[in-house]
Amino acid sequence: MAEDTTLIHSDDEDTQKDKYLTFHLAGEDYGIEIQYVIEIIGIQNITDVPDMPAFIRGVINLRGKVVPIMDVRARFGIEDRAYDDRTCIIVVNIDTTEVGLVVDEVSEVADIPESNVEPAPRTSKNSEDSYIQGMGRINNDVKILLDVHKLLFSGEMQELAESLEEQ
Amino acid sequence: MSMPLDDDQIEIIQEFATESRDMIEQLEPAIIELGQNSDSETINAIFRLFHSMKGSAGFLEFDHMTRVAHAAENLLDMIRNGEIDLVPNHVTLLCAACDFAKEALDMVESDYNDDAMVAPADDISEQLHQAIELAKGGDEPQAEVEEESISAESAAVAEQPEKETDLLQMEITDEMRLSFVQEGNELLQSTEQGLLAWGENPGDIDSIGDIFRNIHSFKGNCGFFGFAQIEKLSHQMENILDRVKSGSKLAVDNPADQLLASLDLLQQAVNNISDGKEDTVENLDQHLNDLQTLIAPLLGDFLVEEGVQEKAINHAVETQKKPVGEILVQQGTASTEQVNSALKKQQDKINKTKATAKPAARTKTPAKRQDIRVELGKLDSLINLIGELVIAENMLIHNPDLKGLELENFNKAGQHMSKLVRELQEMAMTIRMIPVSGLFRRMIRLVHDISVKAGKKVDLELIGEETEIDKTVIETITDPLVHLLRNSLDHGLEPPEERLAAGKDEKGTVKLSARHEEGEVWVTIEDNGRGLNKEKILEKAISKGLIEGDGSDMTDKQINNLIFAPGFSTAAAITDISGRGVGMDVVKKNLEKIKGKIDVYSTPGQGSKIVLRIPLTLAIIDGMIVRVGTSTCIVPTLSMLEAFRPVMDQITITPDGDELAQVRDNFLPIVRLHDILGKKPDSHDLADGILIVLESQETRFCLFIDEILGQQQTVIKGLSDFIGNVPGVSGCTILGDGGVCLILDVGTLVDSAENKKINFEETKENI
Repeated sequence: MAEDTTLIHSDDEDTQKDKYLTFHLAGEDYGIEIQYVIEIIGIQNITDVPDMPAFIRGVINLRGKVVPIMDVRARFGIEDRAYDDRTCIIVVNIDTTEVGLVVDEVSEVADIPESNVEPAPRTSKNSEDSYIQGMGRINNDVKILLDVHKLLFSGEMQELAESLEEQ
Repeated sequence: MSMPLDDDQIEIIQEFATESRDMIEQLEPAIIELGQNSDSETINAIFRLFHSMKGSAGFLEFDHMTRVAHAAENLLDMIRNGEIDLVPNHVTLLCAACDFAKEALDMVESDYNDDAMVAPADDISEQLHQAIELAKGGDEPQAEVEEESISAESAAVAEQPEKETDLLQMEITDEMRLSFVQEGNELLQSTEQGLLAWGENPGDIDSIGDIFRNIHSFKGNCGFFGFAQIEKLSHQMENILDRVKSGSKLAVDNPADQLLASLDLLQQAVNNISDGKEDTVENLDQHLNDLQTLIAPLLGDFLVEEGVQEKAINHAVETQKKPVGEILVQQGTASTEQVNSALKKQQDKINKTKATAKPAARTKTPAKRQDIRVELGKLDSLINLIGELVIAENMLIHNPDLKGLELENFNKAGQHMSKLVRELQEMAMTIRMIPVSGLFRRMIRLVHDISVKAGKKVDLELIGEETEIDKTVIETITDPLVHLLRNSLDHGLEPPEERLAAGKDEKGTVKLSARHEEGEVWVTIEDNGRGLNKEKILEKAISKGLIEGDGSDMTDKQINNLIFAPGFSTAAAITDISGRGVGMDVVKKNLEKIKGKIDVYSTPGQGSKIVLRIPLTLAIIDGMIVRVGTSTCIVPTLSMLEAFRPVMDQITITPDGDELAQVRDNFLPIVRLHDILGKKPDSHDLADGILIVLESQETRFCLFIDEILGQQQTVIKGLSDFIGNVPGVSGCTILGDGGVCLILDVGTLVDSAENKKINFEETKENI
């Protein structure tokens, strides 16, 4: 199944260009490139896995597939908030690895042409800017565009990812 | 082969490569065996393998491979015929030929030709050629040498003029000759089988028809190629078979033995031809005469000799064609009744022999095993689908919506489906499984090479070759096995003098075994060498900074495990076999990849034993679902011994704070599952929960849980790669309600229990 989706994506690359899935998290709007997104599901029962970083909430069963779940709030070090019926899991796929991202609320798919994307601010007090790919402008709104690859693999997950790459 | 290849050709070449690899795999052990005892069967087997390789390589115009295989074949042929004696150097040379073939195959697979192999091919065929020369000592140099001339093709061409066919000097190429030999071999083989069957069961007319057709085609081929001698012989055989077929009498009751003897001659001649020699049959005339005598002359022939008119005889023969009974009745010598009863008896007799003969004939031809090559990717997706089917089935049968309903028919149908799905899954699992024999046999060659290089005498014992393991797992453990065997041979086993001095047999033994155990496959490498040197390991580990302190507080197991650290080697000198300290690291890495484990056992002076414990992939395990607080886990039933609700009298708390439970005469440490999962249990009081006694690697311990929920067969799924290996968890499964449930890894639970204990002790010391 994983291969299928990547195939479709490579076919549709043009139509998916400059399209971002935007979501809401702790008062800010974020966006991720649509090409990584597989589907959006409501929050479900997550099974804990011991000895994991705090932002890995556990695993869920997605139609017979075991998908790990990352809480983006916890990833950014933002205070926890109880899951409600607006809470969503965005399932993304990078290099055949599927991961579910827990966000407060999914907004829409937005067109942000390259000309409207500013590079990420160089200096920042927060460490989270390393996940930022750029700042997208839609009229007067600003969306923080996230680098999905870094979101998944940098920092604490890096070591793990490296050990997997070696194999 | 400069022209571009189409897909079909590429496919043929790839097929050739896989087939040849299979052959080489068989070749190597056979060659090593040849070095130990050169019985003719082994030589023949090797010969055949080289021969088939030559055949297919020749067909695809891989000239260099053909050349080497041909040279090897020549050498073997001379050994087989007793013209030269086998010396160890020959074994080495043949092994080198195998290596060359392997390299050439790599080349073929990447470039679809073996053009780049000119130099090595020259080298090896030259060496083989020299070996023959050397062995023959120049006794009969000319005749044979010509065949060994480096190009097989030119040799064949050079011999062409010697052919007997004066009438039609046809250009017979090497390829044609080859196809003749191949076809001839097939024909002769089926003839042989047919004759054997017929010899057992002379009444079987059908089989004679087959034999006849085979011999006839063979004769035709011989005629076409101008192999006059074997043509004559096969023609004579055909005559006899023709007689048998038409029901005439022969001089002996059953000529099968005679025919078999002739068949052997034909086979020999074909072998000669395949070696590029003449089709000479020794004592051909004699055999032809022998066969002629088999044919009982027809009565008519004698009558003609006596002067009776041919016409009359023909008439008599015509009449003869009528059933005997009718003639007798016509002549009035027998009554119809008599004839009828006689006929009936005859029929009974025939029926009886048929009845007894049929089953015998059936056992004669063993069921032919048929294989089909399938792309691995297809199999994988099939198996994944079946895995999902099992889960879907579970979700259906244990659907929460059905709770509390009485559904008799549904349950019946459900059970039926469960059974089918289970069978389907078991079948799917076996598809990917292949016996380890191929892997083990590859090690024969390795052990041989190393033992020669290291100057040690070794017996390699293979046990449990029929054990089946997943194909990818076999690929993953190939390298580890190589490293472990090298270690055993290079470091483990002592040189012969040292062994004798230690009162051991001069010859060391290395045992390689595979078996199923505890739902895993255990591959064991055991040697009776000097064992691991603990002092040396510790010394080295300390000097490399791998451990802190002097290591005096380490258990034997921990010390033994140090050898798996990267860069670790106690060898004083790096030999070209081992000593760089990379090997054991590779072993560990590869085993981790397939979630396997390694156990090291060693007794100084007596040897060491290394067990690779490999989980069966996509295994279904019987699991006990247990609950602690709000989370559920699965404990493999295989490692469960018993479960009980403890009473406080059974619990002892040591001064260190370790909790021990007394189970009959044993005190077992208690591991609290809620500690491992970081969960809150219903109650911390041991008496409120349940203790499960688990066993792993001969270590027993108790697991403290809140409740046992039930038992279920589960499909192991890996936790996502994103998460990687989780200590204490071997995987997960999906339950009937769709939730994910972790499967506990009893093996690492022991370790984490031990670690917890150590941590606990450390914190206590700090306080």
